[in-house]
Amino acid sequence: MKNSPFKELPLFIPHSHTSTAVNKTGSWRFFHPIYDDKTAPCSAACPLGQDIAGIEMLLSRGLLKDARRLVLNENPFPAVCGRVCFHPCEKACNRTNLDAPIAIHNLERFLGDTALSPVEMPDIAIKAARNKRVAIAGAGPAGLSAAYFLTRLGYRCEVFEANAAPGGLLRLGIPEYRLPRDILDHEIKRIENLGVTIRCKNPVTKDLLEKICQDYDALFIGSGYGRSIALKIDGGHLAYDGLEFLRRLHLGEKMSFAGKAVVLGGGNTAIDVARCLARLGASPLIVYRRRIQDMPAFEPEVEMALREGVEIKELLAPIRLQRNQSESSFAASSYTLNLQQMKISKNQIHGRARIMPDGEKTETIKVENVFVAIGAEADALWHFPATDTAGAFSLSHCKFIDRKIPLVFGGDLTNPVDSVADAIASGKQAAMVLDTYFEKGPAAVDNALAACRIGPGPALSMNAYLGENRQTRNPHVVTYNEIVTDYFQTAPRVTPSLLDANRRLESFAEIESTLADQAAKEEAARCFSCGNCNACDYCRLYCPEMAVRVEKGRRSIDMDYCKGCGVCATECPRNAMALEEEIK
Amino acid sequence: MEQLKHHDLMNPGHLGCPGCGATIAMKFALQALGEKTMVVIPACCWGVIAGPYPQSALNVPVLQTAFATAGAAASGLRAALDMRGDTETTVLSWAGDGGTFDIGFQSLSAAVERNEDCIFVCYDNEAYMNTGVQRSSATPYGTQTTTTPAQNWKNTAKKNIVEALAAHRIPYAATASIGYPEDMIYKFEKAQKLKGGSRFLHVFAPCPTGWRIGSEMSVKIARLAVQTNVFPIYEVDGGVDYTLNFKGDREVKEYLTAQGRFKHLAAADLDRIQQMVNAEWKLLLRKAGLELIH
Amino acid sequence: MKKVIEGSHAVAEAARLARVEVIAAYPITPQTHIVEALAEHCANGSLNARFINVESEHSAMAAVIGASSGGARAFTASSSHGLAYMHEMLHWASAARLPIVMAEVNRALGPGWNIWTDQTDSLAQRDTGWIQLYCEDGQEALDTTLLAFRLAETLNLPVMVVLDAFFLSHTFEPIDVPDQQQVDRFLPSPTPRLRLDTAAPNAFNQLVMPTAYMEMRYNTQLAMEEAVRRFDQIEKEFKAIFNRDYGPVEAIHCEDAEIIIVTTGTVTSTCRLVLAELRARGEKVGLFKMKMFRPFPVEIIRRHLASARKIAVVDRNFSFGAGGIFAQEIRAALCNLGQHPQVFGFIAGLGGRDITPQTLTEIYNETKNDSSPAAESIWIGLNQEIVESWSN
Repeated sequence: MKNSPFKELPLFIPHSHTSTAVNKTGSWRFFHPIYDDKTAPCSAACPLGQDIAGIEMLLSRGLLKDARRLVLNENPFPAVCGRVCFHPCEKACNRTNLDAPIAIHNLERFLGDTALSPVEMPDIAIKAARNKRVAIAGAGPAGLSAAYFLTRLGYRCEVFEANAAPGGLLRLGIPEYRLPRDILDHEIKRIENLGVTIRCKNPVTKDLLEKICQDYDALFIGSGYGRSIALKIDGGHLAYDGLEFLRRLHLGEKMSFAGKAVVLGGGNTAIDVARCLARLGASPLIVYRRRIQDMPAFEPEVEMALREGVEIKELLAPIRLQRNQSESSFAASSYTLNLQQMKISKNQIHGRARIMPDGEKTETIKVENVFVAIGAEADALWHFPATDTAGAFSLSHCKFIDRKIPLVFGGDLTNPVDSVADAIASGKQAAMVLDTYFEKGPAAVDNALAACRIGPGPALSMNAYLGENRQTRNPHVVTYNEIVTDYFQTAPRVTPSLLDANRRLESFAEIESTLADQAAKEEAARCFSCGNCNACDYCRLYCPEMAVRVEKGRRSIDMDYCKGCGVCATECPRNAMALEEEIK
Repeated sequence: MEQLKHHDLMNPGHLGCPGCGATIAMKFALQALGEKTMVVIPACCWGVIAGPYPQSALNVPVLQTAFATAGAAASGLRAALDMRGDTETTVLSWAGDGGTFDIGFQSLSAAVERNEDCIFVCYDNEAYMNTGVQRSSATPYGTQTTTTPAQNWKNTAKKNIVEALAAHRIPYAATASIGYPEDMIYKFEKAQKLKGGSRFLHVFAPCPTGWRIGSEMSVKIARLAVQTNVFPIYEVDGGVDYTLNFKGDREVKEYLTAQGRFKHLAAADLDRIQQMVNAEWKLLLRKAGLELIH
Repeated sequence: MKKVIEGSHAVAEAARLARVEVIAAYPITPQTHIVEALAEHCANGSLNARFINVESEHSAMAAVIGASSGGARAFTASSSHGLAYMHEMLHWASAARLPIVMAEVNRALGPGWNIWTDQTDSLAQRDTGWIQLYCEDGQEALDTTLLAFRLAETLNLPVMVVLDAFFLSHTFEPIDVPDQQQVDRFLPSPTPRLRLDTAAPNAFNQLVMPTAYMEMRYNTQLAMEEAVRRFDQIEKEFKAIFNRDYGPVEAIHCEDAEIIIVTTGTVTSTCRLVLAELRARGEKVGLFKMKMFRPFPVEIIRRHLASARKIAVVDRNFSFGAGGIFAQEIRAALCNLGQHPQVFGFIAGLGGRDITPQTLTEIYNETKNDSSPAAESIWIGLNQEIVESWSN
C-alpha cells in the first residue's frame, strides 16, 4: 500500500512471467507439412500450359498487371485466344463437378483486352540479346509465337510472310465476328515492339531458303497448309475452295450471295464458310459425310452456326457435281449435287464409328453455290519432314532436322490438333528446342523439355524453362475429389452478353462481348485454384501452434513448434500442401 | 488477411495435443475479441494448455479458477473492472463441458440469471478430457468413455445447454463450430458488441485424443457434425428468436463411423441416433419458423 | 459516534467505512443481517460498491476471488454450512494471496440443523491459510473488520473476522462507529499488488510442478509468520486514531496465576465476571483471551502460559476422534518446553448451549481439584438423563 511503513513482502505465487514459446514443441511430431504446389488440370489441358489457377487468383483480387504478366509469360495472344481458342481447359475444369466450369476462355479475353491499350510492353522476363539470328517462315500464330519466345530468349528474329499482312489464318481464315482485326493488329504489334521484324510479301522461295541457310543460325517453318485438299469427285473442280473464299473475303473483296449454298466439310473452316455465307445473303447448308457429333469443328461453333440458321445434313457424301447450264445467265450459276447416303457400320476403328455407303440410297439437291472445305495440306516446298534421318527428331508439336542450320517445323504442319493454341504452343516449343540446342546440344533437348512440362505434358511452360517458380511444381494433376468442396458454395457461371440473335447476320460484328470488370473478378473468384496456394490463409487460420509463417507472401512452417497434426494439409481447400513423414 | 489481425495473442509452445479443437477455438475467439480481453479459465484442458508456471500461452490476462466457479469468478472480475471504470475490457469465461454443463452449471446459471456482462464460452469436447475421457452430460448418446465403457455406453442424450441458457432469456446464445471459422468469428464479434448482458457461445471443439480420430481430422469432423445436423449451428436472440445458420443434409452415419469413440455401435444404434437427430432438428426448424411440411 | 446497533450491523458498518468495492454473498442465518445491511447501503448509495447476489457460498468466495484478482477491495460473509461449502475456495484465496476479508459467524454444523453458536465451523477451516481473528463484542467486531483490511492488504493474505452467532451477531450494544475521515486515514484506497491488467498481461493460478509448489507454500507461511508483528504495528496506528486496541491475545492476571482459563469469543465476557469473583476469593487464577487463532501465536502463548501449573481451555468446538481444537493447539505449543503446565481441555456450549458463570466455575474447580485431567476432553454440562437413556 501507498505510504505503508512496511517493507513489501516478496511474493512467490503461480503467476506467469514468460511465454510458452520456450517449449519447442516441434520435437513432438511424426509428420510435417510442406507447401506443395501441384498442377491444376486446366493448366495441363491447355496446350500452352498456362498458369490458369495463378491467373485467376490475381484477377479475382484485381491485380490485373500481375495477371497479365502471368498470361503473357506463356501466351502472346491472349485477346486472340480469348476469342478463338477451343478452351480444352474448361473441359478439364474440376469445378464442373460442383456447378459449372470456370469461364476461363472469357477471362483470358478480359485480360487480353485490358492489355491492348495502350499497346504495352509486357512486364515479363527477357534475356539479354545474343548474337544469333533466327529466320521464321510464316507470320501465322506459330511463326509469330516462335518469334516472340525466341526474342525473349535473346535471339534476333525475322519473319518472312508471303501475304500482304501478318497473321496467317488469324487474318485470312477466321471471320471477324469471331476475331476483329484490330484486336489481332494490337497483339501482333506487341510482338513487333519486342524487336521482331516482319517482312510481308516475302515468301520463302527456294532461293530465299538457300540464303537463309547461309545468313541465319536457324529456321522455323510455320507456313501452315498452303494448299486446300481437292474434292476428288466428278465435277469436283467446280466447287469454290472454302479457304480461298475466306481469304478473298478477308482481303476486302465485296461479295454477296443468294439462295442455297452448300458447304462440303465438317471442320472449322466449313463452319466459318457457312456462317460468313449467312451474313452475305445465302442460306448455307453444310453437308457432312459423318454424323454431326463426329464433326471435327469445335462444338460451340457448330452450335452458333445452327442458331444462325445454318442447316447441317449428316451422313451424306458428295458423288457428283454439275453446273446447270439451262438457268438464266445473269443469275449466279446453280448446281446439281448428287449425294450418297452413308450409314454407321457396326465395326469401329480405334473407337471411331466407321461409315459406309447405305446401299444405293442417294439424294440430289439443286443449290446456287457449292463450297468445299475438306482440309488442307502443306505447300510443295515443305514436304512433311522425315525424321528417320540422323540428327532429326520429333516432339509433340515440332519436328527438328539438323541440316546446314537447324530447321524446326511447327504449327499445323506438325501439330496433333489444328488449333490456334497448339500453333502458339509449337512456337514456344520450337524456341525452347533451338535455345537448348544452341546452349547444350541436341542431346539435352529431351531433358530440358521434360523439366518444363506441365503435368504429364505435352504443354510446356516458359516460366519453368527460365527457372522460375513453376519449375519446381509437383506434376501431379489435382482431381476433383482432392478438393475440399466444403469451402465452396455453388455460384452460377458468368454469361457474357451476346449480340442479339436477330441482329447477328446483319454484319460481321463480334457476337460475344468482353466481360465487365466486376463480373470477371467474380468469375475468377469461383476458381478452386487446384493444387495452387492462393493465399486463402486457412492453413494459418487453423494452425493451433501458430506455426504458419508468411513473409513477403511466401509461406513456411515453423519447425520449432509444428506438432505435425496435419490439419493444415487436410483442410487446404485446393490440395496445395502435403504431409511428409518426419525422419528422426 | 484481415482475419488474422490478432494473431499475436496466442503463443506457440503450449501443451495442447496435436490438432486440438480447443486451441483452434481459442484462436478464433481472440481473433474476434482482441487484446482488451481477460480470460477466466476453470479446471479443464485449457487449464493445462495455458502453460505451467511460469509460462503463459496467451498474451491477454488469464485468471485460472476452481472447476465449479467460472460463472462466479467471471462475475467478480467483471465487478472489479466496472468499479475501476473499465467498460472496454471483455471478460471471457472459457470453460470445458464439465465446467459448463455439470460442475459449473450452477454458477453459470446464476451468473446469466443475473445477466452478468460477460461472454461465457463452453468449448465442448464432449467428455472430461483433461482427466482422461470420462463422460459428462455433454457426452452424446452412444459414446464410449472411460466411465461409460463400450459394454455399457452412454445411453442418455446430450444435455441441450443452449436451450437451458436460452430459457434464462439472455440477450444472446449461439452454437458455433471450428469447422465454420467465419461463422464462429462473426458470432464472437457479435457477442462482443452486445455489451451489458450475458452472452453464451457453445463451441464444438473435437478432441482427436478422446474421440479416437486422426489429429488432422479435428476441423473436418467439426464440419461434418454440422453437415449431419448432429451439431446444428444457430443463434438465439433474447432467448426466443431463433436463427438457423446452416442446414445439413448428410447422414449421421457418416459422422459416427468416422470416429473410434463410436465404433462399438451396431447398425440399429446408428439408425436410432439418426432418428434422434432428426427429431431434434425438426424441433429446431419449428423454433426457427422453418418447419418442413412432410 | 456512539450508536446502539447489533454486532452484524457493526461489521456491516466497518465494511462500508472501509469502502469495499465488491461484495458477493449468499445469505445464511445468522449472517443475514450483515449482507442485508450492505445490500441496503449499496442500494441507497451510502456505499459505492457492486453487490453480487450469488447463488451459493462457494460462488461467493469464487466471485470475491475474481474481484480481488481484478484489484478490487472485496468482502463477503458466511457461517456454518456456508463456510463449509466454500472450503475449497478458502484454500484458493490464500494460495492466490488475495487480500479478501470475510466476516464469519460461528454457527453449529448439522445435522441436526442448529443455528446457534459453535466454533467448529471456523476452526475446521484452520488449515486453509486464512488469518483468523475472534471477537468478543460488537465494538471489537467493528474494529477488527477495519484492522482486517489493513492486515490483509499488507500481507496479501485473506482474513476471517469471527463472531458468535446471536450472542454477538444479534446482540445490540452501544458501539462507537468511527467517522469516514478517520477510517480513510487508517485505511487508504487499495493499491493492489496483484491485479489483472491488459496493459501487462499475465496468467494467474496456473499449473505448478513439484519443483516450485513447495516454495510457494513456504512463501505463504513466511507471510503468516509476519502477521503477528504487523498486527501489532497496525494496532498501534489504529490506537493512535481510534484510541482502542486488542492485541493478538489479552492476558489478565496471568503472571502470577496457578491456573489460567483460556477462552475465545463472547464467553470471554462471562469469564471476566467469574475471574473477578474467583480472585476476590483469593484464587490464583488468570484469564487468557485468544483473539488471533491463525497464525497461532506460539511465542505469545508460551510466554503467558508456561509458568502456570494448569491451563483450563474452554473449547466451544470439537474435532471428532481428537478433541477440542484450542486445547490441542495449546498443548502442541507447550509440549517442547522443558517444564510446562498440564492442559485440561473442556468441551462446553456446543450448538449454542449457554456457558454460564456456573459452567465456568465448575470448569475452574475441576481443574483445581483434579491432579490430572480425567480425560483428554472433558465434556461439561451434558444432560445425564439423555446420555444415560441411550446406554439402556
